[in-house]
Amino acid sequence: MAEPAERTDQEPAADAPVAEMDLVRRAQRGDLKAYDELVQRYQERIYATVYHMTSNHEDANDLAQDSFIKAYQALKSFKGGSSFYTWLYRIAVNKTINFLKQRKNRNHMSLNDLDFNTENNPDLVALISENTPRRDAGLKELQEKLNAALLTWSEPHRLVVVLQDVQGQSHEEIAEIMDCNIGTVRSRLFYARQQLQSLLTDYLKPA
Amino acid sequence: MNENENDFGTLRQFLKFKGHETPPPGYFNNFSGDVISRIRAGEGGGFSAEAPWLLKLLQVFEFKPAFAGAFASALFLLLVFGFVYADRPESAPQPLLQASVQQSNSFAAATPAALAQPAEPTGIIAATNPATSLQPVASLFNSQNPFAQQVSFSVPGN
Repeated sequence: MAEPAERTDQEPAADAPVAEMDLVRRAQRGDLKAYDELVQRYQERIYATVYHMTSNHEDANDLAQDSFIKAYQALKSFKGGSSFYTWLYRIAVNKTINFLKQRKNRNHMSLNDLDFNTENNPDLVALISENTPRRDAGLKELQEKLNAALLTWSEPHRLVVVLQDVQGQSHEEIAEIMDCNIGTVRSRLFYARQQLQSLLTDYLKPA
Repeated sequence: MNENENDFGTLRQFLKFKGHETPPPGYFNNFSGDVISRIRAGEGGGFSAEAPWLLKLLQVFEFKPAFAGAFASALFLLLVFGFVYADRPESAPQPLLQASVQQSNSFAAATPAALAQPAEPTGIIAATNPATSLQPVASLFNSQNPFAQQVSFSVPGN
């Protein structure tokens, strides 16, 4: 089992696509060991995307697992027109958006804990101490405020911010995942950031 | 766009904060194992692959409990309807009997061979209900059985 910390890059390595297609072909023939490797390769990113969209660990766990199972069921229909990673992302994103639409306004946050590095991250410390008038606000409070603000948006706007600003995906990748053009991605991103900035005024206004 | 992105610099830094939200330690150690177990258990190609309509129906039930309730009520009503009609067999054979008598009468009158036969029902009527297809029940007990003989036993030496 690969440890989460081992892979910090957002894009696959240069030789990864070849190995990936090999794994996909083996999985298409019913090789579950190959599929297990594919799951391990993308589990963190798929989970993280779903988690940031739902702000709920239990929902993210179920949806991420369901996405991998659905991808396996549909694997025979995967022809390699896009990368397996993008195709998998689309399944997870569509599943999550459908889930959120069904859930409508019944948002219940179940947030993951902040990792150990948060308090030691100089950028975040500087940000909180310099750029927010609420210096007394604890990290937990900021986390809750940020997640609550994210949940007020429509799913496409939330998704575009999660993919770009939280996960660092490029506009091109986001456009491919969301099946729209880059202009749409940019306009959604601008609108979403504007909205978020107004929602977090108390925390972002320079002191 | 760059200018806009600079405007949102602080916000984007702030959003990176979310990247520090991590699941419980060891969570990913079992994740792929759970997925593969679920696939092996049949979720990867069971009825969901063979009957996607059933999977969709179950998903609708999951997300719309009211729909599931309506579906269950409809099934229950159908069951009750079936029981009510199954418990009333007497109402149906009567018109059937009359119809068969009328039909045999009209048929007998129309054929010359029927002149030699009485235009009454022969007594053998086909019906699925055993209670109406037999001769009157009283005749079974009042008439003597032609195959039964009275016997008497005498024991020698008494």
